[in-house]
Amino acid sequence: MRKIQSMISTSSADFRRYETHNRRLLAEFRERQEKARHARPQRDLERLSKQGKMRPRERIEKLLDPGTPFLELSSLAANMAYDGDSPSASSIVGIGVVSGREVVIRADDPTVKGGAWYPLTAKKIVRALDIAMENRLPVIHLCDSAGGFLQLQSEVFPDKYMAGRIFRNQSILSKMGVKQLALVFGHCTAGGAYIPGLSDYSVIVRGTGAVFLGGPPLVKAATGEEVTVEELGGADMHTSISGTCDYPAGSEEEAIHIGREIVAQWDRPRKWDCQQEAPEDPAYDPEELYGIIPDDIKKQFDMREVIARIVDGSRFHEYQPAYGATLVCGFANIWGYKVGILANNGVLFNDSSLKGGHFIELCNQNNTPLVFLQNITGYMIGREYERRGITKDGAKMIMAQSCSRVPKFTVMCNGSFGAGNYGMCGRAYDGRFLFTWPNHQIGVMGGDQAANTLAEVKVNQMKRNGGAVDEEEVRRLWEQTRSAYQEQLSAYYSTSELWDDGIIDPVDTRNALGIAISASLNAPLGEPGYGVFRF
Amino acid sequence: MAIRLSLGDEVHHVTILRRHPHLVLVIDGEEHEVTRLPGAGDGRGVVSIGGHEVAFARATLGDRQVVRLGGRTFDVSRVDPFSKGGAGGGAQDALKAPMPGAVVTVHRQPGETVARGEPLITIESMKLQTALPAPRDGVVAEILRAEGQTFEKDEVIATLEPETEDA
Amino acid sequence: MTAPLFRKILVANRGEIACRVMRTLAEMGIASVAIHHRVEARARHVRMADEAVEITGETPVAAHLDIDQIVEAARATGADAIHPGYGFLSENARFAEAVAAAGIAFIGPDAATISLMGDKISARNFAEANGVAVAPSVMPTDDIDAFVARAEGIGFPLLIKAAAGGGGKGMSIVRSAADLAEAARIAASEALRYFGDGRVYAETYVERPRHIEVQVLGDGEGGAIHLFERECSVQRRFQKIIEEAPAANLAPGLREEICQSAVRLAAAAKYRNAGTVEYILGADGRFFFLEMNTRLQVEHPVTEMITGLDLVRAQIEIAAGKGLPLAQADVAVNGHAIECRVCAEDPDRDFMPETGQVQYLGVPEEGWLRFESALDQGQKITADFDPMLAKLVVHGKDRGQAIDRSIEALGGLAVLGVKTNIDYLARVLGHDAFRAGELHTGFVKEHGAALAPPALPAETLAQVLAAAALGFREFQELALGTPEPYAAIGGWRN
Repeated sequence: MRKIQSMISTSSADFRRYETHNRRLLAEFRERQEKARHARPQRDLERLSKQGKMRPRERIEKLLDPGTPFLELSSLAANMAYDGDSPSASSIVGIGVVSGREVVIRADDPTVKGGAWYPLTAKKIVRALDIAMENRLPVIHLCDSAGGFLQLQSEVFPDKYMAGRIFRNQSILSKMGVKQLALVFGHCTAGGAYIPGLSDYSVIVRGTGAVFLGGPPLVKAATGEEVTVEELGGADMHTSISGTCDYPAGSEEEAIHIGREIVAQWDRPRKWDCQQEAPEDPAYDPEELYGIIPDDIKKQFDMREVIARIVDGSRFHEYQPAYGATLVCGFANIWGYKVGILANNGVLFNDSSLKGGHFIELCNQNNTPLVFLQNITGYMIGREYERRGITKDGAKMIMAQSCSRVPKFTVMCNGSFGAGNYGMCGRAYDGRFLFTWPNHQIGVMGGDQAANTLAEVKVNQMKRNGGAVDEEEVRRLWEQTRSAYQEQLSAYYSTSELWDDGIIDPVDTRNALGIAISASLNAPLGEPGYGVFRF
Repeated sequence: MAIRLSLGDEVHHVTILRRHPHLVLVIDGEEHEVTRLPGAGDGRGVVSIGGHEVAFARATLGDRQVVRLGGRTFDVSRVDPFSKGGAGGGAQDALKAPMPGAVVTVHRQPGETVARGEPLITIESMKLQTALPAPRDGVVAEILRAEGQTFEKDEVIATLEPETEDA
Repeated sequence: MTAPLFRKILVANRGEIACRVMRTLAEMGIASVAIHHRVEARARHVRMADEAVEITGETPVAAHLDIDQIVEAARATGADAIHPGYGFLSENARFAEAVAAAGIAFIGPDAATISLMGDKISARNFAEANGVAVAPSVMPTDDIDAFVARAEGIGFPLLIKAAAGGGGKGMSIVRSAADLAEAARIAASEALRYFGDGRVYAETYVERPRHIEVQVLGDGEGGAIHLFERECSVQRRFQKIIEEAPAANLAPGLREEICQSAVRLAAAAKYRNAGTVEYILGADGRFFFLEMNTRLQVEHPVTEMITGLDLVRAQIEIAAGKGLPLAQADVAVNGHAIECRVCAEDPDRDFMPETGQVQYLGVPEEGWLRFESALDQGQKITADFDPMLAKLVVHGKDRGQAIDRSIEALGGLAVLGVKTNIDYLARVLGHDAFRAGELHTGFVKEHGAALAPPALPAETLAQVLAAAALGFREFQELALGTPEPYAAIGGWRN
C-alpha cells in the first residue's frame, strides 16, 4: 500500500489560521468536558466522602486494569439539557479492559442529584446496553442511584425506549450469552433494583449498598411497615437470605477487588478473524489535523489529508481513484485492522454514489469493517442529476450500506447534512460507534441554507399574496431561523441529545477507532445479502 | 494497585504503567522499565530493569515467592488486603443456628475469649452433631441457649462482644 | 575382570554420605543396600541403592541407632560388609562388634580401636604415651579442691570437655578458678544427658585456636600414611561449616610435624582403615592432640580433591585386605579445595535450624565443583534429621582461586523454599580475614557484625520485587495478557 502524499503546507497562512481556530474549539471542548466530569457542588462531594464512598470515576479507575485505556462515550450527554443539571447525563459509560477482558462499563454518578436518572440518563444507559448487545461485550454496572428523576418521570418511564428498555436489554443480552456483573455501591431502588436482579453476578457493599423495589419511605407509606435500609435490602440480607446478590463486600475497594476476580473467571469468547497486521503509527503527525479542517464549514478540504493522519503508516489503497472523485474510497489499516474507508470530498454525485455502493459491497465480500469519515452536505440536486437518476443512485448506496454485514463506524469530521448523512451511515444506520469532532455540525441542511430557503419561501409567499416584500420581516425570519439552527446544529447539541457516542479530539480518532473495532469483533458478522437495488 | 508485596517488615506496591514498547512497572511510586522479562514458572531467569540485567532463581510457594538474586535470598509474600473477607463485619457478632435442634455442649462461657474457627457450641439436629465455630476472634457476650435447650433455624444462640474500633 | 572385593555392602547411613558411598560402590561393581525409616521411603539414597530395607524406631534417628535391626538387615539381604558412614553408629564399638560377630565385614577399624579412640581420656593418654603432644589437662575427682588446684597449675583459660562426646555438648570455657567447679558440674550433667557418660576433664584452652586435622589411612598392621591436613576452623555452635585442604599459611616444617605426628599415632594403634587425627593449633605454633575420629569425616572430599584419591574406595580396599592404596611418597598435593556445608538454618537468628520444602534446586555444574547431597526438588525439610542439606566442594589451583570459585558457585546455587546459610557462607568466604587465612574457631563470632547481611540497595530491591511480582501468575497475566490494541494504546483517556 502506498503512503498518501500530503499536499498541504504546515507553514501556510491557512494552515495556521485553521489550527488556531481548531485548537480554540478543542480547548472549549476540554473545558466543557472537564466541568461535566468534575465540577460538582462541594456539599455533594462531602456527603459522598462521609458515606465512605468513592467518586464514580475513582471506582472506574480502580476497576480497570492498570496501564490500559478507557474509551469514554458521550461524556457531554445532556450538556444542553435540564439547564445543565445533569452533567454527562448523570452517567459514565465506556469501553475498557478489566482482568484482561474487554467490557462495557456503566456507572451511575451519585454526585449528581444522588445519581437520579434523567430522561437522557435512561437513553444513555439503553445505548450502553445496545452497544453491549451489538458487539457482544460483557457489561459491568457500577450501581449507585436514587432512582428515576421523578419531576421528569413521563420522559423517563413509559415509552418503548425509556427506562424499561434497560431491563429488556439486560434480559436479551443475557439470552445472547453475554455476561453482566453489577457492583452495588449505593441504592438500587425500584426499577434500578432490576439491574443487579438481571445481572449474572452481583457484589454489594455492606452499609451503603442496598437493593429494593421500594425504599423504607415508600414501604412505610404503602403498608405502614417501618424498616431500615439494611434490613430491607442491605448486603447481608441479600447475600445470605434472599440470594438476590452474590457477594458481600466490606468496602468499595473490596467490592471492586471481588468484581475483578469474578471477571477473571469469565471465558474469553473467540472474536471473528478480521484481517490484521502489526500496527504502525501514521507517518504524518495527527496533530496536523487541527490545521487541515477549515474554520468555515463551507470551505472544502481533501479528506485524504485526514485519512493520512489516522491510518497506519499513512498508507492507503485507494479504490477507483479516477472515478467518483467526490467520494474517496479505499483500504487502510487502523491499529492493524484492515478497514474500508469512505470519505467525502464534496457533494455526492451519481458516480460517487455508485462508487460508494460498489465499494461497500466489496468490503462486505471481503469481511472488511467500514469506516465512514463524514463531511457531507448532501447529494447533488438539479434537473440534470435527477434525469441521470441521482435519487436511484443515492438509494442504491443507502441500500448497500444499510444491509451491510460488516461492522460500521462513523466519524463526523465536519458537516453532516441532509440525505448525505444517511448514505454515509448516520445514527439511524446501526453503526457500532459514532463519534464527532468539536467543529462538527449536523442538520437537515446548513443554517444559512435553511435561513435562505425559508426566506425564499416567505418572499414567494408575500409575492403570491400580492404585496410588497417586507424586507424587515424576511430579515427577522432569516435571523431567527439561522440562530435556531445554529444552536441545534452544533456538536454540543447533538452530543447532548445522544445523537452520537461522544465528541472526541480529532487526534484521539485513531485510538477511539482502534478500540471500537476491537470491541466490535466480539460479535459475529451479520447475515449477507441486500434488498432490491433500483438499477 | 496491581499487587502488594511484603518483604521483611515492609509492604511494597507494584503496578503497571505501560506495556509498549517495554513493560514499565511502578514500584513504590517509582517507574522502572523492564526491558527483559523472565519467563513464568520456577527456576532460573533473567530480568533487565533500568538497564541492568540480573540473573535470578525463583520458586513459588503459594502466596510466597522466594527469589535468589545478587547472592542473596529474598522471601516475598503477596499481601491480600482483604484477608478477613467480605464475610467480616456486623454479621459476625451473632452465632445463628443453621437448622433447628438442641444444644449439646457449650464450649465457652460469657467473658471467655474464643478464636476464629474454634468450636463455640456443639448442637445436635436430625441425629447429627455439629460443632459451630466462632465466626471471628472475640469475647463471648451471651450464650442464649443452655445445654439441652432447643432452638429454631436462624435463631441466635450465642453472641460475641462487638469489635472495638481499634481491634 | 577382577571379582569385586565384596558382593554387597549395606550402607548404614542416609542422606548425602549414603549417596556418596553408593556412588563409589556402583563404580566398583558392588551391590548396595540402603536402610531407611518410613519417612524416607522415597529418599534419594534409597532410590540409588540396589536394595532397600525399612527400619523402624520411635524416631527416624532412633531407627538409625538400632544395632540389632541393622545387623539383621545386612544378614537378611546377604550383605558381606557394612559401611557406617559418619555419625550414627560409625564410632559405636558395640556396633562394630555386632557386625563382626555376624560374620560381616565392618568398613572401619575394629571395636577395640574404636573404644580406645572413642573415649577422649583414654585416647589422650594413648597419644601422650606415643609421643603425640597433648594439651595439659586434669581430671576432676571427688576432691574438688584438689581438682581446682591442679587446674590452676595448668593455668587459665581452660576448656571443660566431655570424655564421651563432642559436637560442642558438655563443653565450656572457664577463665577463672572461681567458675571452675560450677562449670565442671554443669558440663558433667550435660555430658551425662547427651552421651550417657558424665566424665569430663579440663585442659588448656588455646586462644584463637585453629582446628587442624590430618587424614590417615592404616593397614591394621602398623602401616600408616597421611593424606595431608585439613583446616576446619570456621565453626558455629562448635560445628564446622567451612573446611579446606591444605591448611592456609602453614609453614612446611610445621605441616610435616603435624602430619607425622598423626601417622605415628595411627601406626602405634595399628590403626585399620580411614581415620582423622584432630589437633588444635595455637598462634605460637604449638599444637595439641584433640581427638581421633575413627571413621570417614564429613569433609573428606577436600582431601580427595587435592590428592585425587577416592577415600571410600580406599576404605573398601583396606577392609577387603588389600592394604594401603599407595606409598607415602606417592601422595602429593594438587591445588587447594574448600568445602562449604549448606545447612537449613537462619544465620540471622543465631543459626536456628529451619524447616520447609525444597521448591527449587539449582546447582551449578563445573568440572571443579562437587555438590554432595541427597536433595530432591520437592523434598520436605523437617526436623527429623540434621540440618545439613549438602556440601559444596570446590577445587582451585591455589587458595585464592578456590575461594573465588566457591563464592561464584555459592552465588549460582539456589536452594529455594527453605532458609539456608548459603548467602552467609559466601559472605564468610568474601571476608578479608578469610582470604588472608586469619582463621580460628572464634572466626564467626569475632566477625559477627561484618558478616551480617548488608543493606539492600534500592536498585536490587526493585529487581527483586519485579522478579517476584512476575512470578505470580495473576500479575504475569495482568502484565502480559492484555489484549491488543489495548496493551499498545496504554493508559489513554479521551
